Amino acid sequence: MNIPSDLRYTKDHEWVKVSGRTARIGITDYAQDALGDVVFVELPQINASFSPGESISEVESTKSVSEIYTPLAGTVSAVNTALEETPELINSDPYGDGWLCELEIGDASSADSLLDAAAYRALVEN
Amino acid sequence: MVPFGGWDMPLSYGNGTVSEHLNCRSDAVVFDVSHLGTVRVEGGQAKELLQQALTNDLDKIAPGRAQYTHLLDTDASVLDDIIVWWIDEQTFDVMPNASNTSRVIEAISGQDTTESRAILAVQGPRARERVRTFSDKAADVPRFEVQRVEMFGTQCVVAGTGYTGEDGIEIAAPLNVAERIFDALLGAGITPAGLGARDTLRLEAGLPLHGHELGPGITPLHAGLGWVVAWNKGDFRGREALAKIRDAGLDRKLVGISTSGRRPPREGCSVVSHGNQIGTTTSGNFSPILNHGIAFAFVDLAHVEPGTEVSVDVRGTELPGHVVKTPFVKKRIG
Repeated sequence: MNIPSDLRYTKDHEWVKVSGRTARIGITDYAQDALGDVVFVELPQINASFSPGESISEVESTKSVSEIYTPLAGTVSAVNTALEETPELINSDPYGDGWLCELEIGDASSADSLLDAAAYRALVEN
Repeated sequence: MVPFGGWDMPLSYGNGTVSEHLNCRSDAVVFDVSHLGTVRVEGGQAKELLQQALTNDLDKIAPGRAQYTHLLDTDASVLDDIIVWWIDEQTFDVMPNASNTSRVIEAISGQDTTESRAILAVQGPRARERVRTFSDKAADVPRFEVQRVEMFGTQCVVAGTGYTGEDGIEIAAPLNVAERIFDALLGAGITPAGLGARDTLRLEAGLPLHGHELGPGITPLHAGLGWVVAWNKGDFRGREALAKIRDAGLDRKLVGISTSGRRPPREGCSVVSHGNQIGTTTSGNFSPILNHGIAFAFVDLAHVEPGTEVSVDVRGTELPGHVVKTPFVKKRIG
């Protein structure tokens, strides 16, 4: 199970990478494996604002649909438009080219309360 | 692995459903479909028993051939859709869906031989060519024919049948030799495929699945499968009720719907025309070959013509679409 040490995680299997006031969000290797082949992603609108816990995206595989919840409050500043035609990037590179979107967050420390890699590994391996 | 009709089944193998699906359309895959039932019906009365139970007419075929048929309830609902392998004059293997085996045995008696054999479905344009590398006889069983074939010293039954819209064969192998055959298939360059691909392939091929397009309240006529009903052969279970429904006229029919974009329509979505619900989807998914959504739906008769514009409501998002003739992906074999 690939769980990069420089990311933060949620119990819903999202990852967050904070750089300054930008938080990039995606789903974990565990999540993409559980979902199976991703065939469609609904991305949020640029400039849309979200509160923590709100659904920010939908990822659909051949077998099911999964809502993606933002763990942080923020405003969408970028979305990964490559997923519109090649959503399978989520399967092949969930932490890289398969990222979902970026949020401008007010408080860079808000990600500190999320799981670190060790805690997330403990979650998925138990 | 997922539970399915009392069996643990692989949803997909290592490379995922879409890759397995594409392998089947371009090359060859093998499905372990041992979960399908096998009911052996034998003896001098066997044919007559099946003629009275099932909708299709065995007199259209002959020993050594296979036939798609239905078992109806007394109200003409489809209790199960079935392939019958007519192995020799007085021997039939009736193959129900996994969860329906006990109902079928109730209706036709016979012996449940499901646990004595594995069934390997080898499907795809290169299926026969690859099987030929280790068994000419199995590779050469023609479409919708059934033959006893010795494989690795053990007698198996091979039929030119399948559920993908591709050419191929299905091998019923006694358990002592099933694993060796599976390994030989893999050794011949055939890749394994799971339930996920089986479902997307049959959907593209416009083939119904019991519990979705067939089941309680659905007759063969509603499902557009009137050709499996042999009105001229005499009585069969459910005939009287079916004739009444036929004479009264249908209120809805099964159609294929193509939707635009990649978002998969799913089972149980409303089909909408000008703001009114005119039907409900029974299966749906993303088509890996067509690159857009496809679905089966029962819709009101006014909306069944190919080309009719409809939309499919997927959790509040209306996907624009239109009624199409099935199969969604044309068969490459007759």
